[in-house]
Amino acid sequence: MATKNMIHLISLIATAGGPEAENIAVEVAHRMGVNGPKLGSQILLFLVVAFVLNKYAFGPIQAILAERQKRIEEGLDNAEKIKRELAETDRLKKEILTKANEQAEKMIEEAKKSASAMSEKRILEAVAQAEALIKKAQEATEIERGRMMMELKAEVGRLVVETTAKVVGKVLTSDDQKRLREEAIKQMAA
Amino acid sequence: MLNSILMLASGGSHHELPMYATEFQFGPLVVTNSMIVSWVVALGLIIFVQWAMRNASLVPKGSQNFLELVVESLLTLLEGVMGRGLAHKTFWFFASVFIFIVSANWFGLVPGVGTIGMGAGESWFSVDVVKPFFRGVNADVNMTLAMALTFFGMWIIWALQSNGVGGCIRHIFGSKADNKGVLGLLMAAIFIFVGVIEVVSIAFRPVSLSCRLFGNIYGGEYMLESMMAINEKLSWLIPLPFYFFELLVGLVQALVFCLLTAIFTSTMCAHDESGGKSHH
Repeated sequence: MATKNMIHLISLIATAGGPEAENIAVEVAHRMGVNGPKLGSQILLFLVVAFVLNKYAFGPIQAILAERQKRIEEGLDNAEKIKRELAETDRLKKEILTKANEQAEKMIEEAKKSASAMSEKRILEAVAQAEALIKKAQEATEIERGRMMMELKAEVGRLVVETTAKVVGKVLTSDDQKRLREEAIKQMAA
Repeated sequence: MLNSILMLASGGSHHELPMYATEFQFGPLVVTNSMIVSWVVALGLIIFVQWAMRNASLVPKGSQNFLELVVESLLTLLEGVMGRGLAHKTFWFFASVFIFIVSANWFGLVPGVGTIGMGAGESWFSVDVVKPFFRGVNADVNMTLAMALTFFGMWIIWALQSNGVGGCIRHIFGSKADNKGVLGLLMAAIFIFVGVIEVVSIAFRPVSLSCRLFGNIYGGEYMLESMMAINEKLSWLIPLPFYFFELLVGLVQALVFCLLTAIFTSTMCAHDESGGKSHH
C-alpha cells in the first residue's frame, strides 16, 4: 500500500509543473515531517558523531595502521638484510672453511713430509750412532785384545822361561830369558 | 491533484506506520522518536569507540581489533574508489556515514523499536501502540536528508579545494572533445547542455540520496509491521525471516549511500591524483 502510494506520489510530482510542483514538494516534505530545527539537530548530531569517530577511532587507527605498515616494511627490509648477511656469512664461512681445509691439508702434507724426513734423519743418525758404537766397541775390543795379548805374551814368556829353567835345571841368563820370551812370542804370533 | 498527492503522502489508514516520526513534547523542547534513537545510536557509537581505543596498541586485541577491521576494510574500499590521497582526506565523512547508517539501521531492528510506546488515550506501554517511543533513525527523512545535505556541503568544499571555482565550472561545462573548428563549437555547445543536465543532477543528489535510504528503511519497517499484523498469535514468528532480510538491507543501504557519495566525490575531485584527467 505504502509502496504504491509512494510510486503514485512520485509520478504525480513528476507530471506536475511550475509553481504547483514546488508547492507539492514543500507540502510533501512537510507531511513527511521534514522540519528545519529537526533537520538542523540531525545535521549537528551527525557532525558530532563524525567528529568523535574521527578523533577517537579513525585518526588513531589510521596512525596505528601507518605505524604498523612502516614496522612491517622495516621488518621485511631487516629480514631481507639479515637474509643477505646470512648468505654472506655463509659464503664467508664456506670460504674460510675451504681455506682452513686447504691449509690443514697443506700442513698435514708438510708434517708428513717433515715426519718422513725426520724419520730418515733419525734412522741415519741411529745407524751412524750404531756404527760408531760398533766401531768404538771394536776398537775397545781390539785394544783389550792387544792388551790381553801383551799380557798373555808376557805371561807365556815368563812361563816359558820358568819352565825352561826348571827343565834344564840351571839359572838362565837375562839374554836367554829374553831370547826364550821372543821365541815363545813369535811362535804364539805364528 | 494537490489534495490527492497530499492524501497519499500522509499515508493510508491510521493503523499504518506513518511516514513521519512521532513527536514528544518535553516542555519547550519537541523531540521525535527517531531523534531519541539517533541519540542512543550516537551515544552507543561514541562509548564503543572510546572503550575500544582506551588502550590502543600496535598489537590489537578484542574490540580494537574489530574496529580496526571495520576501518581498514572501509579504507581499502574507499581507496579503490577514490584513490589513496582523496580517500584519506575524506575518510572521516564516508566512514562515519557508513558506520552511523549501518548501526542505526540494525538498531531499528531491535525488538521494542516501534512496538513500545504510548497507547490510545496517552496510556503508557499499551498493546495497541499509537505513539512509539522509538523509530528507526533512517525511517525519518530528517536524518537521511541531514546526512545528504552534509555530504552536499562537504562535496562543494572538496570540489572547490580540488578544482577551484574556474576548475569546477570547466569540469562541469567544459568540452571533453579535442575537435576544433565548427565541430569543436558544436561539441562545446553539447557539453554546455550536458553541464546544465549535470548541474540539475547534482542539485537533486541530496533528494535522491535521502529518499533512497529513507524509502528502503521505511519500506522495511512497514513490511515488518505488516507481517506482524497478519496473525496476532504468530506476530513474533512471521516477521522473523524478514528480520534477516532487513539486516542485509541495512548493510547494503549503508554501503550504497557511502559508495554513491564517494563516487560523486571521486568524479569531481579524484583527477587530482590522475594527472588532471577527468573521470566524466
